[in-house]
Amino acid sequence: MSITYLEAIREAQAYLLKNDPSVYIYGQDVGAFGGAFKATKNLAAEFPGRVIDAPISEDAMIGSAVGAAIEGLRPIIEVQFADFSTVGFNQMVNQAATLFWRTEVPCPITLRLPSGGTSGGGPFHSQCLESIYAHFPGLIVCTPATVEDAYSMLIESVTLDDPVVFCEHKYLYFHLKAESLPQEALPIGKARIAREGRDMTIVTYSAMVHECLEAAKEMAQDGIQIEVVDLRTVKPIDTDTIIASVARTGRLLCVAEEWPWGGVNAEVISRVVAEGFNLLDAPPQRINAKDTPVPYHPRLWSVHRPTAQSIVAASRHLLRI
Amino acid sequence: MSLTPIIMPQLGESIAEATIIDLLVPQGESVTAGQDIIEVETQKATMNVTAPCDGVIDAYIVEIGESYAVGDVLGQVESDAVSAQSDQTSAPTASQATSQPKQSRQESKQPGSKQPTPAPASAESSFSVVKPTIKGLPVPAHFVGAQYMSPRMKARMYELGLREADLAGIAGSGAGGRLTIQDFEKFLTQLEQARLTQASSMRVAVADAMRRSWTRPLATVGTPVKLDPLLSHRAKLNPKPGPALFAIRALAIALSENSATAGRLIGNKIAHPASIDIGFAVEAEDGVLVPVIRNADNTSVTSMVETYNNLVNSARLRKLPANATGGSIATVTNFGTFGLTWATPIPLPEQTLVLGLGAGRKVPFWDESTSSFVPVTEAQLTLSFDHRVLDGGAAGRLLTRINELMTHPQQL
Repeated sequence: MSITYLEAIREAQAYLLKNDPSVYIYGQDVGAFGGAFKATKNLAAEFPGRVIDAPISEDAMIGSAVGAAIEGLRPIIEVQFADFSTVGFNQMVNQAATLFWRTEVPCPITLRLPSGGTSGGGPFHSQCLESIYAHFPGLIVCTPATVEDAYSMLIESVTLDDPVVFCEHKYLYFHLKAESLPQEALPIGKARIAREGRDMTIVTYSAMVHECLEAAKEMAQDGIQIEVVDLRTVKPIDTDTIIASVARTGRLLCVAEEWPWGGVNAEVISRVVAEGFNLLDAPPQRINAKDTPVPYHPRLWSVHRPTAQSIVAASRHLLRI
Repeated sequence: MSLTPIIMPQLGESIAEATIIDLLVPQGESVTAGQDIIEVETQKATMNVTAPCDGVIDAYIVEIGESYAVGDVLGQVESDAVSAQSDQTSAPTASQATSQPKQSRQESKQPGSKQPTPAPASAESSFSVVKPTIKGLPVPAHFVGAQYMSPRMKARMYELGLREADLAGIAGSGAGGRLTIQDFEKFLTQLEQARLTQASSMRVAVADAMRRSWTRPLATVGTPVKLDPLLSHRAKLNPKPGPALFAIRALAIALSENSATAGRLIGNKIAHPASIDIGFAVEAEDGVLVPVIRNADNTSVTSMVETYNNLVNSARLRKLPANATGGSIATVTNFGTFGLTWATPIPLPEQTLVLGLGAGRKVPFWDESTSSFVPVTEAQLTLSFDHRVLDGGAAGRLLTRINELMTHPQQL
């Protein structure tokens, strides 16, 4: 039996709907249609009245979720593409994120954002927005890279009383499969060592974890052992695990699919340089998507974001400086 | 089939080029990796360039008797791609090390596929660690990266109280000859196996002063001084000044006439001394102390005697008061007391000059007026100086004046 990343998300939602009556799912086409990516397929039938179609207004979707949360419910909001969530950005960062700080009333909403690029997606179907949500205090931002994490972290996200931005990666939906769902898992906020190594540390998350593992496999042929750290959560960042890894290797490369300015890579490097300067054998490096809107054309898109090849090149460069 | 270049390797410390003596394997013949193919001669020795891989000598582009720089292409070996790639990974050359980063950036610009695929095998993209060509020798100074110390290295050194000078003898195995943390840890393990004794704080302080002094270009000039006038003048004095005092006094007078020679070069300015305070070296335990005679230009030699003797005694007992050292503008060192005839002393790091006085000996001197050798008591005076502040001429003139004063002791 194998289960895809998308099916794990569906299973997690089924589990939540079954075990917590306050949970409901609200999004465009999530009901009878089962969601743009089929993340809620058959759930409306299995849990009548709990999987509700929303109008094309992310502002209204998220705003009403905040209201529902105040009334004691636990909404899961599915936005069809992360790119569209900025239409409801104000509701998320000014209403949801600040509610508890201002009123002591928790806001346990979970915003599911299908993130990241696929070939031909174009500028409004490919964005990675984890860092702009992470910038605001009051939000938790998850970026699962594995089928197991997609399952366990979604369940934990909904269970937490904080507003959570759950950045699931579209490319991984159908490409990533696992044998089974996990019984236990690392908690939200803890990073995972996806691959052990001693020559350099790559800190990454989401779909890029797999590109980095591919790059590490190629570098291993030259006798270079790369340690790959999967952040799993981007807010909060597990600085302890990262620093411990850099203490072992002395070199840091941050890889992310997002744009370069002020992203997760910049945050990680800033922390490592400030707290672990004397652990470094070389200046920390980062690779991101090119600083342009995400291209539509498949040939352009294929060079827009980091790939295993560009990660290998960056790794070789880091080992030499 | 691919052509692998034969590169002039790094043949030894500070070797920049070599002359072709003989082509040992003719064009067209096959060679194995590591086989001697070209005989070259450097300033120091004759040695062989080896084939970079298995194959056939495709061409030599050098001429016998001509010199070529380290890193130059000397010829090509034709080989099949597989053996070229595997052998390139172990071929250490300066030109290969610097060309690799450029290659990597080009790789990242090529359009990749949606699915991750392994990069195509090629000689240029295989990764190689830069190794010193002659094992055990430090990589020559011009190798990029040899001076780099990472924050991690510096922190570890700081932890252990080590300085860069302490690591000067270690060969770096990192990129461009850089000292890696692994080289460093290996050095420390080897160090633990040696017999270690504690260096006194005096020793460490002198070591640090000498290290700082040596950052400047130092030179020495010397001249013999006839001691007979000084010795007969001294016999009439009471108390009797030691020979070093005459040198101190002569130096002080000479500097009062031209203080620029004791100036310090700071940037593009010369800082002139305020008062003519002369220090003198006293051996104490396993180091050197330098007490100071203040205003030595205004104090006669006989007036200095008591001060001098007190300072020497205090120095030997390590009981010098704080104001007795420091602030001198030049130093005198009387190594003649150890029986040494001459030496090249090192000025203190904050001074430009040090005057050395060797042991007096009876030597024959050619007297032109009598056309014969006459016995004289002679000592060697050596003046070491910071060559940024003065040149041989000025140093020579200063030393000549000191010599003149010491042979006219009534002026001291």
